[in-house]
Amino acid sequence: MSELVGYIVSGLVTGAVFAVMASGLTLSYAATGVFNFAHGAVGFLAALLFFELNVGFGLPAWLAGLIAVTVFSPLLGYVLHRAMFRGLAQAGETAQIVGTIGLTIALPALGLWIVDLVAEPLGLPRADATSLPRGLGPYPPVNVTVAGVTLDSDQLLTFVFAVLAAAGLWAFMRHTPYGLRMRASVDRRRLATLRGIDADASSAMAWILGSTLAGLAGVLAVPTLGLDSTAFTVMLFVSATAAVFGRLRSIPVTFAAGLGLGVVQNLVAGYADFAEDVTGLRTAVPVILLFAGLILLNRSGERVAGSAAEDAPPPDYLADLPMWRRRLPWVVGLTLLLGWTLTRPADDFYVSVVAQGLVLALIFCSFVVVTGIGGMVNLAQASFASMAALTCGWAFSAGLPFPVAIVLGVLGATAVGVLVALPALRLGGRILTLATLALALLADQVLFQVDAFSNGTIGWQLPAIGLGFADTTDPRVRVVLLLALIGLVGLLVRNLERSASGRAILAVRSAPAAATTSGVSAPRTKIMLFALASGIAGLGGVLFASFKGSVTATDLPALAGFVWLAVVVLQGVRRIGGAVLGGLIAAIFPELLATWHVSAHVGAILFGTGGMILAKHPDGVLAQMAEARYRRRRRRLERARAAEIQAEAASNGAGPPPGGRDTAAGVPAGARGTAAADAASPVGAAVEAGEDSAGRGALFRLENVVAGYGDVTVLRGVDLSVRPGEVVALLGANGAGKSTTCAVAAGDLPVTAGRVLLDGVDVTSWPAHRRAREGVLLAPEGRGVFPGLTVEENLRTWLPDPDPVYERMPQLAERRRIAAGALSGGEQQLLTLAPALIRPPRVLIADEPSLGLAPLVAERVFEVFAELRERGVALLLVEEKATSALELADRVAFMSLGRVIWTGPRTEVDETRLTAAYLGVSR
Amino acid sequence: MGRQAVRLVGLVAAAALAAAGCAAEQKAAGGGGSGGTPGVTATAIRVGGVLTKTSASGYSTKDAEIGARARFERANGAGGVHGRKIEFVGAEDDNQDAAKGDAAAKKLVQKDKVFALVPVHGPNFGGAAFLEQQGVPWFGWATGPQWCGTRTGFGYNGCLAPKPGAGSQTWWGNQMAELLGGSEGRTVYVQTTDSSGSKYGGKTISQSFEAAGFKVVGINSGLPAAAPPPDWLPYVNKIMTSDGGKAPDLVVSIIAGTKFNVGLYSALKKAGYEGLLSDATSYDAAILKDQATAQALEGVIAAPMFEPFESDAPEIAQLKADVEKVAPGTVLTQHLAIGYWSADIFLKVLEQTGKDLTRERFLATANGSFAYENAGFGRIQYPRDHNEPNGCGALVKLEGGTFKVAKNMKCFDNVPLK
Repeated sequence: MSELVGYIVSGLVTGAVFAVMASGLTLSYAATGVFNFAHGAVGFLAALLFFELNVGFGLPAWLAGLIAVTVFSPLLGYVLHRAMFRGLAQAGETAQIVGTIGLTIALPALGLWIVDLVAEPLGLPRADATSLPRGLGPYPPVNVTVAGVTLDSDQLLTFVFAVLAAAGLWAFMRHTPYGLRMRASVDRRRLATLRGIDADASSAMAWILGSTLAGLAGVLAVPTLGLDSTAFTVMLFVSATAAVFGRLRSIPVTFAAGLGLGVVQNLVAGYADFAEDVTGLRTAVPVILLFAGLILLNRSGERVAGSAAEDAPPPDYLADLPMWRRRLPWVVGLTLLLGWTLTRPADDFYVSVVAQGLVLALIFCSFVVVTGIGGMVNLAQASFASMAALTCGWAFSAGLPFPVAIVLGVLGATAVGVLVALPALRLGGRILTLATLALALLADQVLFQVDAFSNGTIGWQLPAIGLGFADTTDPRVRVVLLLALIGLVGLLVRNLERSASGRAILAVRSAPAAATTSGVSAPRTKIMLFALASGIAGLGGVLFASFKGSVTATDLPALAGFVWLAVVVLQGVRRIGGAVLGGLIAAIFPELLATWHVSAHVGAILFGTGGMILAKHPDGVLAQMAEARYRRRRRRLERARAAEIQAEAASNGAGPPPGGRDTAAGVPAGARGTAAADAASPVGAAVEAGEDSAGRGALFRLENVVAGYGDVTVLRGVDLSVRPGEVVALLGANGAGKSTTCAVAAGDLPVTAGRVLLDGVDVTSWPAHRRAREGVLLAPEGRGVFPGLTVEENLRTWLPDPDPVYERMPQLAERRRIAAGALSGGEQQLLTLAPALIRPPRVLIADEPSLGLAPLVAERVFEVFAELRERGVALLLVEEKATSALELADRVAFMSLGRVIWTGPRTEVDETRLTAAYLGVSR
Repeated sequence: MGRQAVRLVGLVAAAALAAAGCAAEQKAAGGGGSGGTPGVTATAIRVGGVLTKTSASGYSTKDAEIGARARFERANGAGGVHGRKIEFVGAEDDNQDAAKGDAAAKKLVQKDKVFALVPVHGPNFGGAAFLEQQGVPWFGWATGPQWCGTRTGFGYNGCLAPKPGAGSQTWWGNQMAELLGGSEGRTVYVQTTDSSGSKYGGKTISQSFEAAGFKVVGINSGLPAAAPPPDWLPYVNKIMTSDGGKAPDLVVSIIAGTKFNVGLYSALKKAGYEGLLSDATSYDAAILKDQATAQALEGVIAAPMFEPFESDAPEIAQLKADVEKVAPGTVLTQHLAIGYWSADIFLKVLEQTGKDLTRERFLATANGSFAYENAGFGRIQYPRDHNEPNGCGALVKLEGGTFKVAKNMKCFDNVPLK
């Protein structure tokens, strides 16, 4: 058997672990949109538990493995989902990235801390480099020769488990209702909830599965890796490479890529001897592949920039305060700090800690520029600082004057920043983050290993900075110098935000396409941001090194950037204040812990669990304080305003609306045009009358509903009711609030005031999926199908057995295996409504069902509605084009400016009324 | 960029330049100043250490604290040094993080006001520049270049990271040659990881074996530095064919981390390797507790840089008794020995400095042709050993599940590092 075949077989076996880990990563990302950097940490925890159960408590390996993988890991996944991921999914990209990075720090620390605490009393082995975890197989492992390659029992088991996991995962996703729901939620989350699928439960399931896979990978890998949490993080990066090759979507491709990586690593180790001279190049192979994969495979079509519209800046909660009051806390803090510093002796320990904190604060200011303002998450910041410090040291020892060396260092970092910005031009979001991570690791593993540049492990000596009258060996001088520099950076950032470039940045960030069409150069803006940020980080790095007296390649490791980012974002990354606070906390907090004799693990846990806070308050602690103050006053205001709108809705109706004296509320418009009410009755009476007459028969009712998006109120007191076997057409001009009414009715949008009633039961607080399960079905605007699922799977989301649909609609039967996205528009609309025919809902709300359909097809759609009416379904039909809706409707409601301005039987609708409603001349 | 912003960028750059100053020379701050020597009273000398107690990789040197405490307790039991007892405040944890090590050193000097740092033992210790600038003595295991060439950093067995041209050890090769009854015609393969630190180790150690007459048939630095490779096959294949298609007589591993070594040795044995194995880190009693590890390491010749605990030298008996007194039942480890011997040398310098104790006088004594021999660690001479290793080491062999002394501590002449 040739050497090459041996490498390939053996590589496939070891690639299995990457494959399992990467599959979990892809699964949870695809299902929830959160890229879990802590996936490796979950694996580490499972491995730690496995080790303690097996070696510590003496359980047999299979039992310990079973507990760690099938009990502990799913539980951990569920707990993380509840505590964090659920909130993170809505929190915007920066918070997602930072939150899970925080977990990468916190989870291993938590596990090790617990082991530290219980090791002594329970007599457990400690989990350090001396611990020797065993594998799942026989112990010691038995050697087996397969196809001429000698493998041990642990390796074989790994491969077998990986294949079983892959097969099980495939069967679960394809052939169980849970898998179908999960895929439906992935495909169109909002639609899934409208079909009665609890998307939250699907996410929980995804996290449970993902976590189980991470746990399995951890337990399988631990005999080779040892209990080294860094090694698990490294394994995560390798797995991320596989996941990227699967484009973070396809689990089979991810799995294959994982296996391939194992082979590639073996081939590189076996044959790439030419790389021996470049230290670290071979270690960095997965990182290089990761970077290549990101650049080549993820030229994202939909999201071009490092920017996400949902990541819009929060409102300025302190805008109503006078300038002096806004600045007061900072001025007081600064004065106190300076006063305290200058009264301490020159060799005071705490002053040097504060100085250290301020150096970090200066470096952290670079996060404010690139992440806070630019909206791009950069994990290479520590490498920029390191780069600048090493360049400065190299230049200084080459005989250049120190000031020149400093400038060279800062310029060096800036240049690298521009280089990093180049991939950023076409990558966005997580992909950009991963790319910066790959570059940071590449710098650590290859560039900083170049002896000529970093002077080996010795590093470079740097002098203190002299100011003429004093020098920075005195920490007090450092504090003052740093405060001045941070102040300058603060001014710079403020000016940047207010300048034309600041507006350009904001434009590129929130709407890249729009910015480009308006002539704002996105690439230039981004390059400038990266250059500026890396320059600031570089200056911080040089000062860090100068104050420390020396710099080596390992002083500011890439992984330090993780902790930094977590700390800054936790304080608030949009303001310099957050950076300053973050720097001080990062330096002072560990000292305090040490003084109180608290384990360093606790510090890591606290820094890391900041992610949980981010899940709820994505803009950090500082913004949170301002927001809390704002909210207290705001809550009162909001309630008052909603009540005001409701009252206004009532009183406005009192005046006779033009085009008829009918009123907004449920004028008792009997089915099939048996109009009853006194058209001249004032609104107050009409509402009561509505309650008496229309309310009696109504299956579904909206009562004086006020709702909107953020600060914008769209519905301003909507009353509407539908009875069983009745079609109500809701008509109105564009922007009248029709779709918002639908969303409120289906539970897709919460109400600010008012009630939603289903058969007399108040369902206002029910989430969309619960309303759907109780029979309120919304066919949303556009097509209500899951484009990524097949026709059959689409039907199964609402029907246990889709066969009756095929009998009624043979053209769907022919295409049952085709993805719904490939159907024509008409077929898609039929597919949306077909399930309702077989299993009729109690209430069907159709939002623009004929939009974009050929007239013949639209006709068929309206036939379906007629049939449903015959079967007693209450139908609310929203149409912009009135004609066909009017033909079908029993009752008609006109909407304008967030209110129902007229309701009545179809027979009373005439040209004047229509025109009035559409042209908005009603008021 | 707006014009104002441009102006501000310029301003910041100018400020940086101004900050750098026209005269960027560094003032020597000096240690003591007025008001007596920090950490020294008429009856006590305060010392504390910096160790890597916890780290992300699990590497821990925390046992050095027990070793140092045991040695200090004995000195205190004997009445202290010149009437002063050692007040040992314990050791800080640097988490294997250079910046934290720097902060820990500052804390000990500025807040706890210690006289000296003993023991200092962390692969990534970052406080060297500060201590050197403040003139504070520090004692420990000088594995990194930050120790070397200083006047305040005292490695208990010298500087283990000599610069090219300075002396480099030959004891490992020579001891091995003596153990095998000659090096004539024997081949050695050196395995390191893919990092500049490990490559440097590979260079000094292959030189040690060459100086002793071995033929080095390969130095491989292909192992990934970050984590053990999941698959050892490619590395093992290289070793098994390195001696003209045959396996070498001896494989020396310059990899820290039991996981690495266990993986390498198991894979070699799986591939049918029957030669000798040697490394610097496998001398660890904890290893024996695990059956599979003990099996993988069976026959390995470890190379500790202190007299093995199995030795019958009286110094070792004393060490065991001292440790038993402060921490009964402690398992003796490499790190414990390093802490113990670092403290021992520190006490010797204190004793020679005399009653009148300042940091300047202490350093003057230590750096003024100080020489001290002890069977526990061989010999030490400062200032020479600020720049090169002391050249002493021992060999132990794992046989039938227990460590046996193969060669007692012995010193050899260094050769200049190429």
